[in-house]
Amino acid sequence: MSGKEFFVSRYEKLGWKYENVKPKQAIRINVINTKKADAIKRLQASEIEFEKIPFLENGYWICHSKFSVGATSEYLLGLYSIQEAAAQIPTTLFTELKDKTVLDACAAPGGKTVQLADLMHNTGAIIALDVKRQRLTALSNQLERCRVKNTIAYYMDARQASQLKMMFDRILLDVPCSGNFATDKDWFSRRTIKDVEKNAKLQREILTEAAEILKDDGEIVYSTCSLEPEENELNIEWVIKNLNLQVEKMNCYGEKAPTNIFRKQLDSSIENCRRMWPGQTQGFFVCKLKKRVDAL
Amino acid sequence: MKPIKDFARQLGASISLDESLIVRKENRYFLINESLKKLIKKDFFYVGTYLGKIKNDKFFPSFSLLEMIAERKANKIIVDKKTEWLFICGRDIFKQGIIKVMGSKRKGDYTLILNQHNECLGFSKIMHNLNGEKSGLAVKNISDIGDFLRREA
Repeated sequence: MSGKEFFVSRYEKLGWKYENVKPKQAIRINVINTKKADAIKRLQASEIEFEKIPFLENGYWICHSKFSVGATSEYLLGLYSIQEAAAQIPTTLFTELKDKTVLDACAAPGGKTVQLADLMHNTGAIIALDVKRQRLTALSNQLERCRVKNTIAYYMDARQASQLKMMFDRILLDVPCSGNFATDKDWFSRRTIKDVEKNAKLQREILTEAAEILKDDGEIVYSTCSLEPEENELNIEWVIKNLNLQVEKMNCYGEKAPTNIFRKQLDSSIENCRRMWPGQTQGFFVCKLKKRVDAL
Repeated sequence: MKPIKDFARQLGASISLDESLIVRKENRYFLINESLKKLIKKDFFYVGTYLGKIKNDKFFPSFSLLEMIAERKANKIIVDKKTEWLFICGRDIFKQGIIKVMGSKRKGDYTLILNQHNECLGFSKIMHNLNGEKSGLAVKNISDIGDFLRREA
């Protein structure tokens, strides 16, 4: 069970007609390091053409640039980061981040860690984990470039986060996933349903660990860049049934997540999750979870 | 922390950091705050603000440390936009690209390189006395923020 025809027919069953798209490059201004108006002025002076992403406070799509936006002094000075539009959404879904203790459980290469630090104004603490040492080096470079000061990074599997013996106010689970064809041209030839199921299992293990170390009034944001329901809606259905967590309503770009997946009816609260089909953004899924009131 | 103080002195600056907030991981030094101090475990990979590393008994500063020094009185050279670009590409600085010199102008001294926004781009060694009329190559690039890209390559 693999190949373009197989996966595209699944998307159609979920209500989306396949189209080959290439998401626009996007940047996010790091407001801890610059005033937004100053950054905009400097980008305009560099003849970079860009437009505001309507659903993001600090995000801009790059329309045209004569050179790589990853090689300007403004980028190297950490005034902005290159971050795909949908990938900028998850961290913005947390309420009040200042002075909080935040876990970024699958942190490398660090785009969302930097964004968290930006939203936190470098206050509180971010604990950033990753299971690949080489990717932690990339994370460290991002933290240094963007002048992040409130992060401790550990070489650690998210499934062992309880070994830190800490409880968290906020947990970002931007979990390892199967990805999507919009950002990987070989996606259809590389991926099988077995990969998807393997990733879904790993994601459930990470969710289980996160539920253990979340404070009673804490928040989890779960996100993937996968279009496969096993990693998204079906995993959240599993969470509702097996962990003391509930799906929260959120004001967020994207479509309501479907609650009928391949004729299986899911919990109605799953429609509060958001699914983004490739188009303006890459494929993406996001969900906000809190402890169930009756479980406290 | 002696290596950091010694390095800052080479740039004509004085820096004093709270020793109890400096942590070392192998050959790398980091500056933390009280919140991180309460939480940090010894097996961390990265924490707080990276200050630099010691390799073969020589101190290599981070760009964060250079920026901290740049906020103080120190040897500084402000360069024009074109020179800024060439510098972050790893090139040395010619005298015609220099807008302003603060602190030492003496051959052999070290100096920070700043753009016109007063942002620190790296540091360099002065190749000949900047008081003189001599044009041409003036400052040798030692380290610049283009290193972030070169690390990824």
